[in-house]
Amino acid sequence: MALTTIWTGSEQYLCDPELAQAFHIARTLGMPLLIEGEPGTGKTELPIQYAKDQNLPLFTYPVGSKSNVEQFVAKFDHVKYLRDSQVEVLNAQRAERGLDPLSSGGRSTERLDDYVLLGAAAKAYSTPHSVLLIDEIDKAPREFPNDLLFALSHRQFILPESGKVIEVSEEDMPAIIITSNREQELPTAFKGRCIYHYINFPDAPTMEAIVRKHFPKIEGILLEKSISLFYQLRNIGLERAPATREILHWLKYLQHFSLDEAIHKIDKKEGLGVLIKSQTDLKKIKQRYNVQ
Amino acid sequence: MFNSLPQYLKDNKLQGDVRTLLLLKKSMERGLVHTLGDLYVVLKGIVTNSPKDIGPFTKAFYQYFLGIDINRGETLDAAVLRSETFKDWLKHQGIEEVEIPDVKDLVESFLNDVHLTSYDIQNILRGEDILEKDDPNFKDTEGADDAPIDTVKRAADYSNIPLEELLERMKKVLEQQRRRHSGGTHWVGTGGASPYGNGSAAAGGIRVGGQGGGKMARRVINDKNFYPVDTHVILQDNNIDVALAFLKGIEEESVERILDIPATITEGVKQGALFLPQERDKIDQKVQVLLLIDNGGWSMSPYIDSVTKLFSKMKRRFAHDLKTYYFHNTIYGGVYKDAFRSQNQFETIENICKLDKNYAVFIIGDADMASYELSKDSLRDWQALKTRFERIVWLNPMDLKYWAGSLTVNMLQQIFDMFPLSPYGIEKGVAHMNRKRQFGKAH
Repeated sequence: MALTTIWTGSEQYLCDPELAQAFHIARTLGMPLLIEGEPGTGKTELPIQYAKDQNLPLFTYPVGSKSNVEQFVAKFDHVKYLRDSQVEVLNAQRAERGLDPLSSGGRSTERLDDYVLLGAAAKAYSTPHSVLLIDEIDKAPREFPNDLLFALSHRQFILPESGKVIEVSEEDMPAIIITSNREQELPTAFKGRCIYHYINFPDAPTMEAIVRKHFPKIEGILLEKSISLFYQLRNIGLERAPATREILHWLKYLQHFSLDEAIHKIDKKEGLGVLIKSQTDLKKIKQRYNVQ
Repeated sequence: MFNSLPQYLKDNKLQGDVRTLLLLKKSMERGLVHTLGDLYVVLKGIVTNSPKDIGPFTKAFYQYFLGIDINRGETLDAAVLRSETFKDWLKHQGIEEVEIPDVKDLVESFLNDVHLTSYDIQNILRGEDILEKDDPNFKDTEGADDAPIDTVKRAADYSNIPLEELLERMKKVLEQQRRRHSGGTHWVGTGGASPYGNGSAAAGGIRVGGQGGGKMARRVINDKNFYPVDTHVILQDNNIDVALAFLKGIEEESVERILDIPATITEGVKQGALFLPQERDKIDQKVQVLLLIDNGGWSMSPYIDSVTKLFSKMKRRFAHDLKTYYFHNTIYGGVYKDAFRSQNQFETIENICKLDKNYAVFIIGDADMASYELSKDSLRDWQALKTRFERIVWLNPMDLKYWAGSLTVNMLQQIFDMFPLSPYGIEKGVAHMNRKRQFGKAH
């Protein structure tokens, strides 16, 4: 809650009004913001750009199929603990024989905190006004979101073994952004604790504004032609329709050519590999536009 | 206040409980709600849980707060036009008679009023700055640079209104809501207390740039996600994604690693009591889907496209093994591998029944045919499938109300659990399959 006004985006990032409002609501209420939407619509970009723009520390936790709540909060390093305690025995034996003791890297088995590895969540909760990104939560095993519930609703974590409590006041609460590609339905109880926002795919004028944020010097004709082809391609029912990310990459590629060449490429549907990611789709487009 | 809201949301198959009210109250205390548009945005964030909720939520919101009922199959425009709220609003706009060509514009500007949020007001107040800073190049490509600049009469800033007063107003709305049948007035147009349509409270003469209020409203009308998507409606292109989310339920992902205690002990003893935790993968369950589609006859043709699209999307997104077979009306000894049902692509039921019994089987067809077609042999084939595959459901695109009238539907229903081919039906079907699986596991 470092910022009480609505954040509307930065130089590089155009935050659409609905998303901006949802984000504002989430921050004001101290709740996580759950963003869903097509891949490549800037879900992950929001927290990154927000942290950058506002100069806040950002902690990211990329979720994978093996994610668990220990990795996310804090993990007790049992292996290291076991090693160090066995080293103690070993050192006693070595001392008898007059050998140098083995090092434990400054850790002591007396201090359990030495063996706690902090995850993104614990770090974010101990840094006031930080930004915490939980990326692609739909990739997680089913129980992961439910395990998060406790932490999210109580604003505190209890570290394993050492029992230390990491707590954050509502004022210092990090801005939490959770993204999902909807590959798996999340539990209702989990969603109930988040502010939900579904990113709609930007319409052509918004897309123009987004492109302009990234390429301020782009020629009008190139912009017009590329966006027009882009939306045509989105509408012909491809397996994997190109999204914002793809058009930005594509334009980056086109910028390497002179204006005439770039326009020629668009007209002849050349160099679409950046935009279209599947072979069947490329074939379909070539047939449709009758080009080689 | 709003005590009836959670129940109302529940009735509309949305999430609603005490927490909804508490969060709403908290939002108001924190100054998030100044206009009806804000209320919509805040409630949407709290109540909706997936894109499929947005349509029903919007519908419920209109009904609860504005008294606009959208009948099944009716467009939002038509519902707005019918409503008392809209008529009141017109009165306050000083519009006596509505010319047909203007209707769309009027509805739109009414909705713009409804969805005007603090955020929009913030933008409107900054409108002059925006105009000055406007990049002339940008305007050229837009081609709309000659458009006259609107003067918004209604752009009042309500952020200064004390919370108590706002709550008082909302209370009033609620009371009026109860008297809806007597044609009571609503949010918009309650005279002096109205946040909209009344010039006296407005910061008059503020000029607006091309952007500003109203973006929301246009989306409400044009965007299919905002148009109430009825999950009971038979599968079409625009609700495929909703169905897909439900279909996802048949997959069971478990790629987690668990501590292998026996291995840890054995290894630890071997290592001279140095116990290193051993982990092992929990075994994944594969997703195997078998699809039997009735693609014969005109009665099924409207659905084939959506169905194949749905399942091919599913295959790309998460299924590892999808087999599709075709039949016409019913099966006689086998099904076909290709959509044209060529003889050399015939696959016998015997062979199908040799497949792994963990396949999730979806049969898609209207099950409606002449009763002689569904012969004893054919029924035996169906029964064989049912016996082999534990997880098997029939999805029927025919309107539910005609099911009872069809003899063959009734006969097949005795063998299979039948669900409508709508996102809602698919959800039920998948839930049914999963119950079967757990049952199977227990034994």
